[in-house]
Amino acid sequence: MDVSREKTLREPRVSSLALQVAKYTAVGKITVRNNLAYLYDYLIRSLFLLVILYIFAQLWRVTYDGIGTATISGYTFEQLLWYLVFAEAMVLSSPRLARRIEDEVKKGDVAYQLTRPVSYLLFQYAQYMGEAYVLVPVHLLVGGALGTMMFGVPHFGWGWIGFLLISVGAFTVNFLLNMILALTSFWIEETRGLEFVYYKIVFTLGGMLLPLEMFGGTVRQIADWLPFQCVVYFPSKTAVQFDAGEIGHMLGVQAVWAAVLTVCLTLIYRKGVKKLNVNGG
Amino acid sequence: MSSVRVQELTKSFTVKYKQAGLAGSLRSLFAPQTEEKVAVQPLDFTIEQGEVLAFLGPNGAGKSTTIKMLTGILHPTSGSAEVLGFNPWQERQKLAFHVGSVFGQKSQLWYHLPPVDTFELMARIYEIPRGEFLKRRDQLVERFELGPYLNTTVRKLSLGERMRCEIAAALLHRPQIVFLDEPTIGLDVVVKQKIRDLIREMNREEGTTLFLTSHDAGDVEQLCKRVIVINHGQVILDDSVSNMKREFLTHKTIHLKLAELPQPIALPGVTVVKQKGTGMKLSVDTALTSIETVLSFIVTHYKLVDVTIEDPSMEEIITHIYERTGKGGV
Repeated sequence: MDVSREKTLREPRVSSLALQVAKYTAVGKITVRNNLAYLYDYLIRSLFLLVILYIFAQLWRVTYDGIGTATISGYTFEQLLWYLVFAEAMVLSSPRLARRIEDEVKKGDVAYQLTRPVSYLLFQYAQYMGEAYVLVPVHLLVGGALGTMMFGVPHFGWGWIGFLLISVGAFTVNFLLNMILALTSFWIEETRGLEFVYYKIVFTLGGMLLPLEMFGGTVRQIADWLPFQCVVYFPSKTAVQFDAGEIGHMLGVQAVWAAVLTVCLTLIYRKGVKKLNVNGG
Repeated sequence: MSSVRVQELTKSFTVKYKQAGLAGSLRSLFAPQTEEKVAVQPLDFTIEQGEVLAFLGPNGAGKSTTIKMLTGILHPTSGSAEVLGFNPWQERQKLAFHVGSVFGQKSQLWYHLPPVDTFELMARIYEIPRGEFLKRRDQLVERFELGPYLNTTVRKLSLGERMRCEIAAALLHRPQIVFLDEPTIGLDVVVKQKIRDLIREMNREEGTTLFLTSHDAGDVEQLCKRVIVINHGQVILDDSVSNMKREFLTHKTIHLKLAELPQPIALPGVTVVKQKGTGMKLSVDTALTSIETVLSFIVTHYKLVDVTIEDPSMEEIITHIYERTGKGGV
């Protein structure tokens, strides 16, 4: 190798933002295409969703009849059921990161990914989003079929667009939280237990079981100060009760949490990689 | 110009030491005992640009630890290394653009998609300009004869077809140095040969430095000019492959299955290691009698049912090296 070649190797590489965006968009796109191969599996698995929603529908019908009012905490029976359709879709469409990352850390695949000029975290994020957006339409289709059968074709109008917008932030916050959990596998052997607990919190304080309005009082206040509401409550509420004024607030809260969690995740990841660098994982 | 320069490189790990039994587990929970495990002892070597090096050693010898240090994944305990002029662990991302890697037991192709899609992704990841990528891709497709598989999903490819695609994917960005970890593992003889031809051609035409680890003596004999053997994290041999062949790959083992009891064999350098009924194991010193002569003797004098010829295993070669050089002795 002569001197000039040596020089070109050492020249600072200008990885423009456009190239970086193209890189991770390509990762997202290929994940979407790879996951489309499982479309039938997903459809069949999501039939379970019908059972859950059917049970909820029965429970809530009895509740509404018992109380005798048209709305509970501002939701009609129809809105509440559609809220659950969106909530279930958000949670079921979130890829289970803990298992994947735990495997990658244990088998040492993380190390091999580091030999490529990509950021591990951004690579995972692109994959996560790709997978999530293959699943969301599937789950909305299946859940929506039940909703449509019960109440006819819904007219959410701007709600659809609001949902799409807020769901980006929702999946992002969920990714960050899950990735933080998953990366603890650098230190502890088993992270699926943590993931289980996490989803129980999302179930309650995230607003998957009930819209947060129904909690009222202290629980509601606590939920307002936690990131979990960004994941389920925000997108589902936006879909069924679109309010242009609230969108700005929701996006703001999501952005703040995303920023805080990104800092946490980056710090944890750096510590983890250092451990990997020093002790081989 | 050297491609890789390694000086006094060492790596030791701290491993938790757990005592047996429940009491031991509890004790290690509160007062964990650790022990220092040395994976790589001071290692020194240089690889020239365009050289094809075989890096051999039994399992746990420190091969992958060394590769991980050279690609910047692992930070060494002490010593220094330079790969293509970069310090691997301080400039890992920059180095990554010029390094290719193929790990025989790990796939980088997307399982449900045709290889052409993974190639596209690689082009983005390595930030290859569009025109350059297409030219390079077509060149590799032609050379590796990937045309028929390019648009078939990876899960429908055979292992050999997949491996060719894996190697092509690792070469798209024209790496200066390629780490090949067991590239022919699990492949049949014909495919192995094909892969070796391709690797050799790539080295000849593009001057790519190759760093190969393999358990297959055939890979080493046919691909590499130089060999480094390590054991317990130490270089025990750094020599040309032809020297190693002459000194350490002198014996081949022939397993025979015959149709009737054999008559004795009397050729110089051929010894019967074991004989049981119609089964026979011969050791051949190829310096004294060529394998060809032995085989033609067998074919003319014996009624043959089955025959296999084996190279000495890595372990045997290492024992041999210790005997010759008087080094180490573990």
